[in-house]
Amino acid sequence: MLNVADNSGARKLMCIRIIGASNQRYAQIGNVIVAVIKEAVPNMSLEKSEVIRAVVVRTRKELKREDGMIIKYDDNAAVIIDQKGNPKGSRIFGAITEELRKFRFTKILSLAPDVL
Amino acid sequence: MQSLARALCRATNGDCGRRILQLQSGSLSTFCRREVHTTIQKGSDIFERRVVAFPKTVACSFFRNNHSNRCMSTAAQPNADLEGENVASALQADTPPRIKFKRLDKTAKQIMTILDKEAVEKVRSEKEVPDIQPGCIVELKVEVPENKRRVSTLKGIVIARRNAGLNTTFRLRRLVAGVGVESVFPLYSPNIKEMKILDRKKVRRAKLYYLRDRMNALKK
Repeated sequence: MLNVADNSGARKLMCIRIIGASNQRYAQIGNVIVAVIKEAVPNMSLEKSEVIRAVVVRTRKELKREDGMIIKYDDNAAVIIDQKGNPKGSRIFGAITEELRKFRFTKILSLAPDVL
Repeated sequence: MQSLARALCRATNGDCGRRILQLQSGSLSTFCRREVHTTIQKGSDIFERRVVAFPKTVACSFFRNNHSNRCMSTAAQPNADLEGENVASALQADTPPRIKFKRLDKTAKQIMTILDKEAVEKVRSEKEVPDIQPGCIVELKVEVPENKRRVSTLKGIVIARRNAGLNTTFRLRRLVAGVGVESVFPLYSPNIKEMKILDRKKVRRAKLYYLRDRMNALKK
């Protein structure tokens, strides 16, 4: 169950599938996933048991960089996006890594409070 | 005794055999003679004559000198050659100094540790690297090459340190925007521009992984 890192209205997501990979088991930072909303804030546009797309922004599994740096978060989180890649919410919580720049999620990076 | 006799028979052709016979002549002549006679059907009369002819006095000193045959005297002389001809020469010449060769992987390990130390000293001479121990609160100025823009300041507590020569790494734990983040940095990384120790806490452990549960409780 992933946390949601923006203010789109959902609280918890459950990952169903990874987009773009046929046999991959675990999603990493930057992967787009298909998820179902398990818990939502009432009276907002997104409801429980709705199937949406999201991009993973934080994982408990370490992310390795080529210069020897390793980053590990304390939780797993995702940001809900639409088909194009734009985030649905208007604010993002928590730190985002630079790796998302490679995957063309520049709007998420610009909204992030802190970029690692 | 029979096996000894057979061995003597085999060694008869070389010089070695003669000397062994010389040595054993004391014992041989008394009780072995008859046996030697019976076991050897090779028809080597010379052999029997030799057994009888040599004096009883055993050359004991020969036996003591014989020990040097077994060890490797130089790298040049192969082991297989130590019968007959080489016996005399090995005895008279001084043994040249031994060239000791380590196993190749051991030599490689030594070279690697030397190279490692040199690299560490080189980095230490250029950059000032403070002694970071677990429990230190540290402020780093890190330049991330993907960022390309700025030098970011990170502040956190060191929870672990792993010593591995040039690849010594330390683990920093901090709270970033409400989320706990642990990062591992190589100590001698050129990306770390500056390191400053703000505070040192007294800890009784080398790895402070128990802080993961503690700091989470503070957050939520």
